[in-house]
Amino acid sequence: MKAVLVKPLELIGRALPTTYLRIAAGIVAFMLLVGALGSLIAPYDALAQDSAHTFAGPSWSHLMGTDFLGRDTLSRLIVGARPSLFSAVVAVVIGLVGGAIPGMASVLFSRRVEFVVMRFVDALMTIPPIVFAIAIVAGFGNGLPEAVVAIGVLMIPRFFRVVRAETLKHASAQYVEAATLFGASKPYVLRRHVWRKAVPTLGVVSASALGYAVLGISGLAFLGLGEIAPQPSWGSMLSDDLTYLYQAPWAAMWPGVAISLTVWALNALSDAAHTGLVREAEVPVGTESEAPETQDVGSVEPALQYV
Amino acid sequence: MALAVAINPKRISATLRWAGAEFLRFVPVALISTLITFGVTALAPDDTAAQLAGDTGTLQEIANLNHAFGFDQPWPQRYVTWLWHALHGDLGVSYFTQIPVTTSIAQRFPVDLSIAIFALVIAIVLGFGGGLLAASRPNGVVDRAITALGSLALAIPEFWLAILLVIVFAVKVRLFPATGYVATSQGLGQWARHMILPSLTLATPVAAVIARQLRISMLTELDENYVTGALVRGYSRRRILFKHVLRNGAAPAVATVGLYTPSLLGGAVIAERIFALPGIGALAIDAAQAHDIPVIQGVLLVTIAVVLVSNLTVDALLGWLRPGVKRS
Repeated sequence: MKAVLVKPLELIGRALPTTYLRIAAGIVAFMLLVGALGSLIAPYDALAQDSAHTFAGPSWSHLMGTDFLGRDTLSRLIVGARPSLFSAVVAVVIGLVGGAIPGMASVLFSRRVEFVVMRFVDALMTIPPIVFAIAIVAGFGNGLPEAVVAIGVLMIPRFFRVVRAETLKHASAQYVEAATLFGASKPYVLRRHVWRKAVPTLGVVSASALGYAVLGISGLAFLGLGEIAPQPSWGSMLSDDLTYLYQAPWAAMWPGVAISLTVWALNALSDAAHTGLVREAEVPVGTESEAPETQDVGSVEPALQYV
Repeated sequence: MALAVAINPKRISATLRWAGAEFLRFVPVALISTLITFGVTALAPDDTAAQLAGDTGTLQEIANLNHAFGFDQPWPQRYVTWLWHALHGDLGVSYFTQIPVTTSIAQRFPVDLSIAIFALVIAIVLGFGGGLLAASRPNGVVDRAITALGSLALAIPEFWLAILLVIVFAVKVRLFPATGYVATSQGLGQWARHMILPSLTLATPVAAVIARQLRISMLTELDENYVTGALVRGYSRRRILFKHVLRNGAAPAVATVGLYTPSLLGGAVIAERIFALPGIGALAIDAAQAHDIPVIQGVLLVTIAVVLVSNLTVDALLGWLRPGVKRS
């Protein structure tokens, strides 16, 4: 169990010698720390207004300036990290649990059930995330949980497909055959052996999915869906900045930089771990040939398909 | 010669079989996605009737309204009715404005479709151009520059990119208008000028993905034996790259285009907000706030239909690019 969890970290660690990736890992760690501490480290109350100092430029008292209500931008950025990042984590967990478990089990389904499940996944992939989130909000009310669920549900297909492809690949390995010959049932083999082989790939996909979720959640907040004003989040801050673009064009820099840095760092880590995995896979795992992929659009590599 | 290929009976039967398989896949996907559309909106807690009846509404009035909207029927029945009407081009009437949903969507959808198509063209040109350039000299300066630009483009949120574009091209340089939409009937030039910034915004991440995918698959192709063979036979590098490697390596990039259609349409919704365009996104957001379910259902249905059509197109393209590869 422990070894399985450490594996993706190890892969990242092995790839980390480059400065580029150390910076990326540092950024992710820093953002998560800021999100965890939140208002504890914010210099001002993120909601405190100061009508005498609106649209102030960066100064020693307000390092990033103030917004249209005179609220401290740095404090809002710090407090906004939590809804922007941690809700993305929750969305990824929803996608992971909802996709990985059925993805692994799909190997056991009969052909008919498999066909239905595959079409269900295909159907989820045809739904534009933003429009879907608007629909969820319309039906169930506007709030962060609704937005998170909408993004998470639409992330199920990517996890489903990756885990399914991995499971199919490993299910034809010789040790599985051997275990079956010793009388192990297929579900047992999956539970006991195969699932941990998919974990490193899941780590890669989770990292890139997290970047995608950060973009999604911020996009929704930008549209006014999810976190409700006056609570700050990176997306809603950008939305305010857009309104006052002519008064303070530079204000739109900060939340944009925060989002881009986070997503870039997550993508870089995901890529590095992916490269590490591919390199490792060049040492044969015990499969002579890759299992046929029955469901894919062309032969796009599963992990690459969603970067 | 070409004609002989075209009417080759083997080829026709293969095409027919392909079409049949596509159809078998397409219909269930369409059914399930409409079911999801209907499900998330219709099964939500709904007090529309009570809202419409207002504070003075009696229970009888609410019951009458519920009956008029068909809320008192079981949901499978409502789904079938809704789908049947939708197939006939009737998406119902807005609860609040009484305007037929089809009318509102038909009015606004051209806006989103123009941005999305414009963006797709830009993405394909930039993406294939960039990928090709990068793959032609692997690990050269150009390749590294394109790869770095690509990872930057993937990390920048569309709405921030849009704001930056507005700051540069509309506030500082004043080259393009920051907001607004002009119908094609008022002059193609003006229409295009208003389309450029929103489309460029949407195109950037898709172009990055295409370039990246094309580069990877072309580099893989370059390692193949047939490339060495062609080189030995004395074909020029350029000819090998364009005639063989590009064609063989293009398929994954084309598949990527298909995968990104949903996010292209979703991105159009965000672009609408920034550039103040009267598209279906604004319609959907207004409807969401008013809990106007038929409008939301209509918008979701139309966007899903566009995605399905684009998926079919991409599949056909892939079949043409790689006739030998069996996809089920």
